[in-house]
Parts: sequence; structure tokens; C-alpha cells
Amino acid sequence: MSATPKMNSSQLRNKANDFLNSKRHANNLADILKLFEAETDNFSPLLLTIEVIFTELLKRGDLVQHIEPLNPSVNTPEAQYAKWLNECYETALKCTLNCIKMGRMSSRLQALVTACKLMQAEGKYPLEESVSYQFPAVRLKNIFSMLLDSELSMAAPIARFQEFSEHRDVQQYGLKVLPTIAYRKNPSSVYMENYLELLDKLLSVQIVVDGAVKRRADDDEKGEKVLCDAEGKPSFTYNPATCRRYANRCWGFACQWALLSAAGPRRRALLLLVERLMPLLSKPQQATDMLCDCLDAGGPISMLALQGVLELVRHHNIEYPDIYDRLYAMFEPAMFATRYKRRLMHLADIFLSSTHLPESLVAAFAKRMSRLALLASPEEAVALVGLVSSLLHRHPALKRMICYEDTPAIMSNDPYVMEETLARRSGALGSSLWELRALRRHHAPAVCAAAAAALSAAPMPEPISDDELFDAEVKRHFKTIELNFLRPQGMALPEGERLLQYWDIMA
Amino acid sequence: MAKAKNKRNSGLADKVHNKRKGDVHKKKLNPFEVHINREKMKVLGQKSKHERGMPGVARARAVQKRKETLGTEMKLMHKTNVFTDRRIGEKDSALSAEERATARFAAERARRPRPALYNLADDELLTHRGQTLEQIEKFDDPRSSDDEDEDDGRKAFRGLDDEFVSEGHFGGGMLSRGAGGGAGGAGGGARSHQDLIDQLIADSKRRKADKQKLKEQTLDLTEKLDSEWRDLQPVVAKRARAASPAPAPAPGDPPLTRAERAALDYDQMTRELRFEKRGTPSDGLKSQEAQEEEERKQLAAWQRERDRRMRGEEGEGAAPAHTHRSAEDLDDNLELEAAAPGFMLAYDDEGRALGDEAVLTQHSGFPSEKKQFQDGGSDDSSDEEEREEGSSEGGDDDDDDDDDDEQTAADKTSTKKIDKKSKEAKPNETSILFQKQTSDEDDDDEDEDEGKNGGDDDKDNETTDDDDDDETEEKNSEKDNHSKKMNSIKTNGLPKEDSSESDSDSDTEPAESEKINENKVDDISNLRVLLESVAESEDEEQRAEDDQRISTFFKTMSTEGYKLKALLSDKSPAAQAAALARLVKQYDPSKGEGNKEKLSQLFPYVVQFIHDAWGAPSSAAGVSHAARTLHHLAPILYDLAKVNKVSSMKCIVEVLKEKHDLFLKCPKRVPDLDTLVLFKLVSLLYPGSDYRHPVATPALVFMQQILTRGRFRDPQSISRGLFVAALILEYTALSKRLVPPVINFLRGLLYMAADIPIVSQLQVVPPFRARDAGLLRVSADCPPLSGADKMAAGDLFTDEFTDELKVRVISTCVNMLRELFDNSSDLEAQECIFRPHLQLLALVRLPPAPAAAPAPAALDYMTRALEVKTYTHMCGEKKKTKMLRLYEPDVQDVFTGSKSAKLSVEASSRARLTGRLRRERRGAARELRRDAAYLAGEKLRGKIRSDNERKAKVKRIYAEAALQQGELNALKRQK
Repeated sequence: MSATPKMNSSQLRNKANDFLNSKRHANNLADILKLFEAETDNFSPLLLTIEVIFTELLKRGDLVQHIEPLNPSVNTPEAQYAKWLNECYETALKCTLNCIKMGRMSSRLQALVTACKLMQAEGKYPLEESVSYQFPAVRLKNIFSMLLDSELSMAAPIARFQEFSEHRDVQQYGLKVLPTIAYRKNPSSVYMENYLELLDKLLSVQIVVDGAVKRRADDDEKGEKVLCDAEGKPSFTYNPATCRRYANRCWGFACQWALLSAAGPRRRALLLLVERLMPLLSKPQQATDMLCDCLDAGGPISMLALQGVLELVRHHNIEYPDIYDRLYAMFEPAMFATRYKRRLMHLADIFLSSTHLPESLVAAFAKRMSRLALLASPEEAVALVGLVSSLLHRHPALKRMICYEDTPAIMSNDPYVMEETLARRSGALGSSLWELRALRRHHAPAVCAAAAAALSAAPMPEPISDDELFDAEVKRHFKTIELNFLRPQGMALPEGERLLQYWDIMA
Repeated sequence: MAKAKNKRNSGLADKVHNKRKGDVHKKKLNPFEVHINREKMKVLGQKSKHERGMPGVARARAVQKRKETLGTEMKLMHKTNVFTDRRIGEKDSALSAEERATARFAAERARRPRPALYNLADDELLTHRGQTLEQIEKFDDPRSSDDEDEDDGRKAFRGLDDEFVSEGHFGGGMLSRGAGGGAGGAGGGARSHQDLIDQLIADSKRRKADKQKLKEQTLDLTEKLDSEWRDLQPVVAKRARAASPAPAPAPGDPPLTRAERAALDYDQMTRELRFEKRGTPSDGLKSQEAQEEEERKQLAAWQRERDRRMRGEEGEGAAPAHTHRSAEDLDDNLELEAAAPGFMLAYDDEGRALGDEAVLTQHSGFPSEKKQFQDGGSDDSSDEEEREEGSSEGGDDDDDDDDDDEQTAADKTSTKKIDKKSKEAKPNETSILFQKQTSDEDDDDEDEDEGKNGGDDDKDNETTDDDDDDETEEKNSEKDNHSKKMNSIKTNGLPKEDSSESDSDSDTEPAESEKINENKVDDISNLRVLLESVAESEDEEQRAEDDQRISTFFKTMSTEGYKLKALLSDKSPAAQAAALARLVKQYDPSKGEGNKEKLSQLFPYVVQFIHDAWGAPSSAAGVSHAARTLHHLAPILYDLAKVNKVSSMKCIVEVLKEKHDLFLKCPKRVPDLDTLVLFKLVSLLYPGSDYRHPVATPALVFMQQILTRGRFRDPQSISRGLFVAALILEYTALSKRLVPPVINFLRGLLYMAADIPIVSQLQVVPPFRARDAGLLRVSADCPPLSGADKMAAGDLFTDEFTDELKVRVISTCVNMLRELFDNSSDLEAQECIFRPHLQLLALVRLPPAPAAAPAPAALDYMTRALEVKTYTHMCGEKKKTKMLRLYEPDVQDVFTGSKSAKLSVEASSRARLTGRLRRERRGAARELRRDAAYLAGEKLRGKIRSDNERKAKVKRIYAEAALQQGELNALKRQK
């Protein structure tokens, strides 16, 4: 039978149908399973066939082996057939799981989906008859151990897995299963990344723990999805506290690894910690060291860590000695190149929202932000000016930076020292926000308007996101269209020609 | 003239009053007549009318007044009728006879009702010898009275023939009579005379009859001609103007003499002057100085306007518009709603509506409709796809007329062609307007394309043309046109590629030596004068061909893009500009109705032409050629943009948008030259200095995005970045706006050029990275270089960092930096903006090259400028303190002593009125009393007078009686 190396999908479908229709074509299944060895690249049709066959079989209950306790070794043909089918099922599952690692990407994704679908079918129609809710945790464990590969990055399949991890039972059992296979001494960085990614996906649906928000959770109960939900059986009971415990255990394993050695896992771990895990941790203080280390690392990593630190400071009474100086240090030209600049600005806004901060500190921030706005692209400049404006609003003492009450003295230089690392000592309070005045001459009208609003304490205009500026300018309506009033006599403008001043292009 | 008394007397008092009024003030005041009234108490602010009086004068005036009113009335009392002389001016001796006549005429004119009040001099009937001019100029046919007169004048003495005259009048001698009468016998003399007279009468009768007959014939002919003429008139009238100004004389008329013709000309002229549009009254021609002055003023006004726009909202914020506020409008914190920012219908200079997209696209003849696709028309099945493609791209309009049918047909062919080309060129680029012209299209391909295209056109015409005769005519002409074009293309044999490629090795054709000359000139071509002369010495054939193309350019309204290329290809830039200028001139909007739309349709194609010209080259020479193309086409493009501002704006914005979308796909790559030239184009057409401008602002945003997002690591991108930076400087040259991307860009370049010490505080700004340091560093063993400090066209394509290039980049960089520095010299933030640049510049090592010389000077200049910079704290503008809210004043009653104070408003006003009435009544009674006194006086005086008269009469009677008695007594005594 191996002479037919490949079959197209219609042939496969026919074969599967034949098999399902009568037991006479039982060998078809064996043929199909053999085809896995022949194929190297695209397993998708095979996987689909497998999925169809075994879903149907599970639904029919053909796989269930009736073991009578009185005579254990009954050798009826039915029992033998069921046993053979079970063997085939195991083989098929093994093949499917192997396919997650092989072949092209679409087939890998299909393999994962097939595995999950089979798991779902098995959950609905369990192999052993039972009355209570059953989740095929073993299958999930197998899938996980496949996904947590040490060499191959599984980012795409794990991302695909999210559609299943959104189900509550998958989440709960997944969190339960994950620590059991996570124990490892010195995992590779790829393994760590896969692990963190998977954990991230498992936590993608928020786990509500607090009783305070219980009522809201009740409202959501109806919308919650359960993967293996069969009729006529007690439904799955979701236990957030357990989930939280499991999640803590997962994180505990991860903490034993050298997470911070490589850039990839470090970023992933931080993102996971900051975005998902922070509210779940039983002892968030333990993450302080890691966050502090990251905060010292500089660049985008420290921006991410900052968010975690903020969380600690706000909710867990952690005192961080010079957090504002660190924040201050993050405002440097390099921030424009990172992808977390918006997050940084948002965090700075939260950090500086306290009205009890010393004026000199806030003034230093205002000064530094407006300095940066002089370097930024229009969109970022608008955001920074907005920040400065809100600082000016919150701290009336900063008013002297834009509106000096005393008779102004003439100074020979700006009292503010940009290079000073301590925000309070930068002498910003003695300075003025001349930068805003410069920004009023900005070439982009949006920035001009923002700077003018900040200077006059008027409400800020809407911030603009990237790439919007051009379209906004194009869409704007104008009453008149002005042309140059001097007719150009050639390539050079009658006045103010610059291109030909710097370029010798006509020669 | 007898009139009723009442009426007569009605206006008398007024008249007298008015008359007197003028005279009073002329009199000198006699100081003794003035009486000063003593003021009892001075009331502040009161005007006293009666502080001095002239009792004598006043009394005299009153008496005089009464005399003229009451007196005359009394005189006329109990009299039924009266004669009044109401002739105008008759009683006024001051007027001369002439003036009197004038006054009468004026009165007469005023009396007549005027039908049209504002029609000047229309109501007067001008007469000439009693006949109105209208009657004279009725132009009714006087029925050839003149030639009658002429006949009479000429033949008056020819009525009798010579023989008769000589015989009858001068008698002749006996001899002759004898000789003559020999045959007639004895009674011949008398009888012959009788005969002669009879004959004479018969002759004259016959002649009269002849004349009458002739006249009737002429009349008949004239009438016939007239009727026929009426039939012919519509045909002739069309070309009446074009035809010779003096119409040929009708065949029946006798040839005109010179004088008559002159008279005819005169008549014609008068009629022309009468009927043709009258010139509007205008100012006289201005002198040259006045004109210059005016131009200067206009320019200044424009500049002011531009400055205002440059300040934009800033200015508005500083000085809020003064809206009217009424006195009752207290500051009661009521915020009026600002006017809704809805669509406001506005028009530009040409009277086109601006604003709403939908409105505009519906109503304007605007070339977003340039690709029109109609459902009717063609049945070419292969067209279906193209049509669909096209309709998805260009908006289709259904309300076009029938005559657009062939347009659409041809349109389709054009789109088909374009599609085909774009498929050839770049399969994934779908733009119709700006499909890329790859330079590797070779001649054969193109020719084949042309041939196919021509064939397609013809076929389309045949299939789609409707049953109209005119259209077939046009079709023929079109065909001719096409064939001619094809011929021209084939005979030329030159590649129909973009002119910008003429630098390539295409001049191998021996046929067109002149063309080759031109091309060579182009390649050498720093002598523009020579080039211009070449353009002018274009041979006649070429010129004629162009003219042909120009004249038929918009005939089919469709394939302008293709035609434009045909027109402009194979030419030097100057010649291209000349041809295009002629085209634009021919379709000047003042010359025809649809020309404006046509020209506005032309604009996108010219833009595309320039775009293509810049897209093609890949060498320095190519760029300079493209630059020259732009140089020559720019003025024309400006004119075209001015024709229809809205459509040209939309076109440019559309192109910018398309390019921007392309750019966003790969923002790290600096766009090609065909994008960059658009920015130059925008700055040529539109003011970049405006605070906000529909075209310039998006262009500026686009450019700054290029500089913020681009990756500048290779020479090409760096030089292109400098190109963009120069353009941004051009945009902001006037407004001196702050452009951080340019500043950052220059900082990055300097960073790459500087020798950065290992431990340094110097930071890099994002598009540049610390690891790129040293890319632009001039090598240590660099020999002394010579070369210009300007960037060269070749730098746009070079692939390696030569030392020359590095030096050029650095020096350009420094120059730009200096300009930016000067632009922001009034800002305190200048120091923090430019300090890093100066630190970097100090670290740049420069080779001994003339181009690098200004760098240290600039560094020195900027450092010094920063050293002397002073800082003062920002002081907010003093806010105007808001007035406290004022409440209604609570006025309490205060005792004033007057009685009316306590009364109510109504009662007090009533009291006031009664008081006034009483006063008036008193005054009137006094007047009446005085009148009565006057009347009594008059009566008395009359009585006395009549008494005196009577006494005198009695005396006289007595005297006479005494005399009589005396005489009687004397007679008695004598007895």
C-alpha cells in the first residue's frame, strides 16, 4: 500500500468515508496512518482526515472498550476491533503531535488545531464512561510538551493556541499541567521563550480573584467559554483561586531560571510579568529584584520594568529610592527609537500625577520633556507638550516657568542643566520654558497649536497618532487656495530659493 | 391767468420767509440796535439763544413780514379775481433774457415726467430742422430718389434735342427756313411750328413714360433682390465678420463713386459706434511711474497678505477680531456659540466654488473626471476589463452629453494603452496617472505600441461613431491626424522615449542631423543661449508639425497624455517649453469657451511629464537634463495651475498622497527623485510659508517624515536627504519655522562625520545610530581637494563614499546649519537646539580643501553668537482684567424742588405738554394781537390816506370853484 505515496484530499475523503461507513474498509485507516511516513512537507489533508475520522469515531463511541470486571480477557471480535482502534488512535495522536514540529507552517498550525480538536472531542465523549466532567489532561500535557521545544521557536503555533486557551477549562487544566512538565535545570533560551509565551497565552483571559469584583465576574459567567462541554453532564466548575495558585507555581519555576541572561526571554518575561502576572502573584515583592535589575538595564527593558515598579509602588508599598531620577533618565533622545515610547509617556503621566511632588522635580521633568519635544517628530512633540501642559496644570508653582511674576532679570545662560542626573538639582525652577515658545514656531500647525495651548493654559487639542498627520492635513478644508504671487521664471524661486543654493543640479 | 385766491396765497408766507432769510445776515449790525438781555442765572451746559436781541431789526422784520402776508391779503380782501404774472423770471430784473430762457427750459424739463430716471440724456428729443433724429435715421428706402434727381439735373437741358433748340429758339435765317420749308409749302412755317410743339409735347410724354417704366423695373428688381437677400441672410451672416469688411456692391446697383463710398464708410462707422458695446468709462492711461507705483503697491499688498497667512492662527490669537458689542452687552459670562464650522460656499478668483468635495466634483469641469467611463458607446468586448478597472479608479460621471461619446471611446484606448504600459513596466503598480516609465523600453516596442494604438483608435472610431454627419467629418480629420502623427513618428525614426533619455546613445540616426546636434548641445549645454537659439532655429517643418498637433490637441479630448508626449518628445527642454507655451497660448481661456476646462485637464499631464522626466534618469547628466526640463516648464505649469486652482491643487495633492502611501510601505527607504521633484514643484507653485496650506503643509509633513524615518547609511540616501533638507529650508525660508527633523538630520550627519571620543556625552538622535559613526569621516591621509562646496547632481546616484563627497556633504551641512541657526536666532531655545551640533562640528576633522574652508568660520560665528545670547524669563501677556459685573443702578427719589418730580411719568409728561400748549397759545395770541394791530394800523393809514386824498380833492374843487367864481365875477364886472 505504500506504493501510493501521496493522495489528494478528495481521495483521502473518499477513503475516510468508506472506512466510516463500513467495517469492511477497516484497513483504510491503517493506510492513512502509513501515509504520515511518506509525507514530509504538507500534512494538512492527512490531518484533516484524521480529525474527521476520530471525531466521528469518538462521537459514535466506537473507541470505548467495555471491560467487564468479571471476565477480564474476553476476546470477542468487537473488543479486538475496539482495541485496535484505540491503538490506531494513539498512533494518530502521536503522528499529529509530531507534525507540529515538521513541515510547512500552515501544516504545523493545522496539526496543533487537529490535536486540540481531538482533545475537545475526547473531552466531550470520553474513552471511559463516566458521569462527571472529564478533561483529557494527558492530551493537553502531550501538546504542551510538544510546544515547549528547546530548539525550535514555537511562537506561531502558540499564538494559534490562544484561540483554545481562551476557554476556561483549558486555562485551568493548562495551568495545572504546565508546572508538571516545566521542571528543568538549565533550559535553553528558546525553551524559556516558548514557555513564557505559552504562559502568556494561558493567562490571556483575565483571572478575577478579588471578591470585590466578583459581581462583575458573575455577569461575565454566561459569556465564558468551555471547550469540553457535553450535554447531559455536570458542567465544568471554574475555580479562580486554583488557577491563581497554579499560575504562581508556573512563575515560580520560571523564576529559577536565568531569565535575565538573554535579551529575548528577558523581554518576554517582563512583558508577561507586567501585563498579566502582576495582579496574580501571591508575593509580588519577590519580583522586585528582577524589576530593579531590569530597570537598571536601560533602554526599552527599563521602560517595561518601570511599569512593574509602578505597580509595586502603588499597590504593595514598596519604596523605591530614586525612582523619579530613573524615570528622568529615561527621557533622552534615544527614547524615540524604542517602541515603548507611548507607554513611557503614559507611565510618566501617572508617576507625575501626584500633586505632592517637589516643584523642582516636576519643573525638571517639564523642562526635559520640552527639550525633547524640540527633537521629536510632530506626533511625539504634541504628546510631550501635552504632558508638559498637564504638569503645568497640576502644579501651579510651575506657572513661573511660563509667566514670571517678578521683574525678569537678564541672564547669560539657561539655569537648567540638562546633563544633571538628579532631577531636583537641575535648577529647572529658575528657568523658563523657552522651548515652548520655540515650538510655537514649529513647522507643523498641530504642534504650534499644542504649544500655544500649553502656554495659555487652554485645553490641549487632540493628540495625533503616527501617520495621521499627513492624512489630516490632506483632508482639511480650505476656503481659498493661494498660489505664489510671483510667477516663477524657471526652476529657481524669485525669492528664497534654497535648493539651487545648496545643489548644483543644472550643470 | 385767473386763479382761485386761496391757492394763490397758500405758499406766500413761506416764500417770503425763505427770501428774507438769506438777506438778514448780510447786513452789518448797527451796535446801537443791539440789545443785550441780562442773564439771571447761568445754567451749565445750556445753550442760550436769546442773550442778545435786536429789537429794531426784529420789529422791522415782523412788520415787513406782515406787510407781505397780511398786507397783501388785506389788499385782496373782498376781491374775486386777480391777474398774476407767473412767467418765470419775468419779475426778477436780475436775470438777463438769456438766463430767463434757460430757467424756463429747465422748468419745462423738470415738469416733464422722466421715464427712466437714470438714463442720462435719453429723454431729450434731439431735432434737426424740426425732425427728430430718429425720424431721420429710419433708414427707410427712399426709393432711389437720388438718381431721379440726378437724372433731372443732368437731363434738364437735354429734354429738347439740339436740333429743336437751334431751330426753335434761335429761329434760323430765311434761307434755312426757305430751304427747309421749300418742300413744306407756304403754310409750312406756321404749321410746322404747331407740329413742332406737338412733337415736343409727345416727346416729353414718351420720355416720362420711359423713365417711369425704368423706375418701376428697378423697383421690382430691388424688391426681388431684397426678398432673396432675406433668404440668404442666415447663411451669409455667419461669416459676415470674417469676410471682407466692405460688402461687395449688389450687382444691380451702379458702382459707387469715391465720395459715396466715403460716405458709406462714415455711415457704417456711425452705426458701429452706435450699436457696438460702449466702452466703459475708465481712467486715463497711466504714466509709467504711476504704473510702476501701482505694481509696487500691489506687490506690497500681496506680501502683506502672505505675511498674514504665514502668521496664521498665531496672529489671530494675538489680536482678537473686534466684533461689535452693543452698549447693553455686559460681561455676563454668556458664551456665544461660535459659528458652526460647516461648509461655507466660497469662490476663488475664477469664480469656482471651493470646498466640499462632493459639490466640487459634481459641478466643476475638473479633471478628476479626466478618466471618464461611460456605459454606452463601445461594444469592444475586450474593453470591458479596462473599463471596470478604470471605473474603480476614476470617478465616472453619467451626465455627459452625446458628443462625449467619442471621447470615451478614445479614452478607453488611452487607458488601455496606459494599462498595457504599466503592465509592461511594473505589474504591481496600478496607478494610471503615474505609472512608472522604465527606461529600458526600446524603440521597437514603442513603435509597435504606437501602431497598435493608432489602429485601435481607428477601429474604435468606426465602431462607436454615431450617425451624425459632423462626427464622421471629424472622424476623418482625426484619422488624418493619426496617420500624420504616425508618419511623423516613423519618419523621425527617433525613439519615442522620454526626452530625458536623449543623453543615452540614441543619436545614431543619420537622418536627423539637426536633432543630433541638439542632443549634443544638450549634453554639452552649459550654454543656454545657444540652446535657445537652437530652439528658435527649429526648422519650419517641425514647427508646422507642432502647429498641427497643437491645433488638434484637444479635438478628441482624450489622449492628451499621449499627445503631449508626442508633442514634447525629441525636443530640447527649451523647445519643449516653447511648444507647450504655444499650446497654452492657443487655448487661452479668453479665446474660447471650453478652453479653461481643456487647460485644466492639461495640468496633470504636464505634471506627469515632469514626473516621468525625473523618474527616468540614473546619472548626473540625466538629472541635469530633467532639471532643465523643469526649469523651462515651470512658468507654464504655473500658468496652468492658475487657470483652475482647485483642480490643480487636487491633482498635486492626489499625487502626493499616492507617493506618501508608497513611502509608508517602506519608510526607511528615501523616495526616488520623481517624488522629490514634486516637493520642488509644490514650492514653485504654492507659498510654503503659509501657516497652513492645502498643498504645502502636506508636502512639508511628508518631507519631514522622510527625514525622521529614513535610514541614512549609504551615499545615495544621504544626498537625497540633503536634497529634501534643502527643500524644507526653501519652504521655511520666509516663515523661519522650526524644523526639528532637518536639525536632527544635520546632527546625525555631523555625528557620522566627527571623530567621536570613546567616552563622550554626545548622544545620537534616533534615525541615526551610534554604530554608524565614522561613515562620513574624511580619511586621515586625504590629499588636498579642490571642488565646489555645493552638492552635485551625480551625488544622487553615487555608491561609494569618496572624500570629495564627504567634504561636500559636510560643507553643505555646515551651510544649512548656519541658516537654520540664523532662522532661530531670536529664540532662547537656540542654545539647547544647536549646542550638540557645535560640539560635533568641533570634532569634525576637515581636509585642506576650499570647500571646507567656511566650516571653521561658521563654527566660530555660531559659538560666539551663543556666547552673547541673553535669557530673560518668560512673562505672560498681561491679562486684561475682566470688568466686574454691573447691576442696574438703584436710583432713589431726591427732592429737587420741582413740582413735576413727584408726578408719575404720564402725569409729568402731560403737565409738560399742557405747559407747552399754554406757552404756544400765549405766543399765538400775541401774534394775533399784533396782526390785529397791524391791520388796524393799515386800515387807519388807508383811512388817513383816503381822507387826505378827499381833502385834497375837496380843496381842489374849492379852488377850482373859487377860480370859476372869480372868473364869473370878473365877467359880471365887465358887464
